[in-house]
Amino acid sequence: MVKRLLTGNEAIAEGARVGGALFASAYPGTPSTEILETIARQGDVRVQWAPNEKVALEVACGVSLGGGRALCAMKHVGVNVAADPFFSASYSGVGGGLILVSADDPAMHSSQNEQDNRHLARAAKVALLEPSDSQEAMDFVALGFDLSEKFDTPVMLRVTTRTCHSMSPVELDPHARYEPVLRPGYERNFRKNVLLPANARVRHEAVEERLAQLEEFGNHERALNRIEWGDRTIGVITSGIAYQYVREVLPEASVLKLGLTHPLPRQLIREFGAGVDELYVVEELDPFLEEQVRALGLHPVGKEIFPITGELDPDRVARGFGIEPLGAGIEPVDASLPLRPPVLCAGCGHRGVFYTLSRMGVAVTGDIGCYTLGSLPPLESMDACLCMGASVGMAQGMEIALRAAGDDRPVVGVIGDSTFVHSGITGLVNTVYNGGSGTLLLLDNGTTAMTGHQEHPGTGVTAEGDATIALDYVAVCHAVGVRRVREADPYDLEALEAAIREELAADEPSVIICRAVCRLVDRTPIADPAELEIECPGCGTCFELGCPALDGSSGQAVIDPAVCSGCALCVQLCPFCGLRIHGHEAVVQESVS
Amino acid sequence: MNDLERPRNVFLTGVGGHGVLAVSRVIAEAALARGFDVRRSEVHGMSQRGGSVVSQVRYGPRVHSPLIARGAADILVSLELLEALRHLHALRRDGILLANEQRITPAPIGGLTVAYPDDPRGVCEQRVDRAIFLPALDIARELGEEKAANMVMLGAYSVLAPEIPEATWLETIATAFRPRFRELNVAAFGAGREVALRSAGAGAAP
Repeated sequence: MVKRLLTGNEAIAEGARVGGALFASAYPGTPSTEILETIARQGDVRVQWAPNEKVALEVACGVSLGGGRALCAMKHVGVNVAADPFFSASYSGVGGGLILVSADDPAMHSSQNEQDNRHLARAAKVALLEPSDSQEAMDFVALGFDLSEKFDTPVMLRVTTRTCHSMSPVELDPHARYEPVLRPGYERNFRKNVLLPANARVRHEAVEERLAQLEEFGNHERALNRIEWGDRTIGVITSGIAYQYVREVLPEASVLKLGLTHPLPRQLIREFGAGVDELYVVEELDPFLEEQVRALGLHPVGKEIFPITGELDPDRVARGFGIEPLGAGIEPVDASLPLRPPVLCAGCGHRGVFYTLSRMGVAVTGDIGCYTLGSLPPLESMDACLCMGASVGMAQGMEIALRAAGDDRPVVGVIGDSTFVHSGITGLVNTVYNGGSGTLLLLDNGTTAMTGHQEHPGTGVTAEGDATIALDYVAVCHAVGVRRVREADPYDLEALEAAIREELAADEPSVIICRAVCRLVDRTPIADPAELEIECPGCGTCFELGCPALDGSSGQAVIDPAVCSGCALCVQLCPFCGLRIHGHEAVVQESVS
Repeated sequence: MNDLERPRNVFLTGVGGHGVLAVSRVIAEAALARGFDVRRSEVHGMSQRGGSVVSQVRYGPRVHSPLIARGAADILVSLELLEALRHLHALRRDGILLANEQRITPAPIGGLTVAYPDDPRGVCEQRVDRAIFLPALDIARELGEEKAANMVMLGAYSVLAPEIPEATWLETIATAFRPRFRELNVAAFGAGREVALRSAGAGAAP
């Protein structure tokens, strides 16, 4: 065996290999993305990026039905999208082991909410595993496959940002060969796998029985649930990353460490509760364990002293226990230090679109991706951002309400390429079907940019790196009934605005596709950096672009040639024609006239 | 033999593209190779887009939390001065600041840059008893590659961490990066080590 440092995500990938997974699927989403990327790099388990989490899970369910072990990874909100197959797969059970990895994001490092997906495992009545470090992340995948098959249940492996993105040592067998675990001899099983009401009623009984068996298993399986007896005046029930903070803060305390957190091992909890003077529950986000422990007639202290919002850390756990701060540090520098907030990159194709929208007095429903940054100053041209794909449906709904109120402001939906494929297409079907007339801007940067540039069905490349058929957005829009589909260059402000105005004027739905490859994918300069040819009078017009290559703190525009990509948006805006880009004379001439 | 009685807490910071994560990775790998238990954490959500980057490494006989408690860092390694100021309170009162003298002005927002602090070095020196500043960028430039500034800083860190022998550092660097960068990284590491030995007093550990 060798010890290697792995992130939780890398360890999950290793677990899939060691556990004999035949297949893994995912839709990218922080903090889960590196799981599938790592599995793909290993090159053993077959991998797929799916258009969305629902499809990812459905393919995994199919693999399981056919007898192969399958793992499906997504961020917490992705499980909402996959909830339909997830809840029903619970009734069908599995063929080959089936694991859904839910990567939750307490503190919302990169998410729109911090829902606690342990509730979903409980609602779906499946086994729930919570690893606390990378070693467990790997072990629980292999163990999860066994458990899934033994108890005929899908398994949710719930991790959080801190387990996903922290590294800790993992014991690996360098000589282990990859061998997919298969259940050969597939046979049709109508009563189990066809969820007609008559079958599903019987299956529900089986699900409840399974939970009882799982609970009994959890009472005795020390690899998952264990009591670490110590000082018996304080007993702490905990799971996941919170276990590490408890161990750090209270090294002497007795701890009931839970790895299988649904169904809960009630007998073990009672035994632990009876063995300590004061009982505590330390868990991130909701009082998921705490309320169930309370239902046993025990009286733990939990959310009254530990926060329900945000992520835990050693300080928050120590504070809850009334322990003095662990560190005695230097006073923070309280001067208002300049921040480094995320901004659209210099030359980003989204910038011209949001600049144009900000001038037009339109309502804009946005979506999830880098372009959500278009909602921030100085562009500030987004009214809403809810969830993946919502821009399309919300645009139509908002139009209905505005018109009813006598407000004739146009409504524009803005969506990225990967998000459009994820769940924008069905929204567009609805717009056409139900007689909407809005305009959708499809910002195609040729990648899933926000999560680190993953392929998707529109890029023409698979997760395994093979060339495939790229989704044709124009054809898709036409096929669902949008007659007005056109392309507009997001680097040509005048033409872009004209295109948007024209489509908004039309009394039918329209789609404008703005193509510009992500600057982090193709860093080749678009043209030479912009240069100032006159003494800048400092009117500030170009600053409204929010371009990181343009600094105006001296009162004049100063272009950083190392950052400027030559996109020439500022050249088009300069009312004094003082900005020039080699090769862009024509644009400047036009703006003179 | 330099054994640790309690975990060594190293807080690292810088700006996206700086190579902060590479430094923290080498520290973590070297500590593991030396036989320590290790935890390493990072926040890198928007790092590609010029944001602040933070990584934490803890190693010792037994480590639990991947996060360092506030005010419990033994050493703050900063690859940029403003980021050193921003995270100064991560340090213990008797902790050591090891900072690259480089200044990176934050990208202007809407054309406006918030003024860079006047005297970041002075503020650091006022608050931290042991503050070591290195011209890591200049040293890396002399070696022919600005991007190696992070390895200069790693070399300086190694002087403050005698619990990990020099050979372990060199072996870790050799395996952590692509072979064509090996010579440069080793040279940058050596240069940083030399400067730190000279400026900080040989072998001084917290």
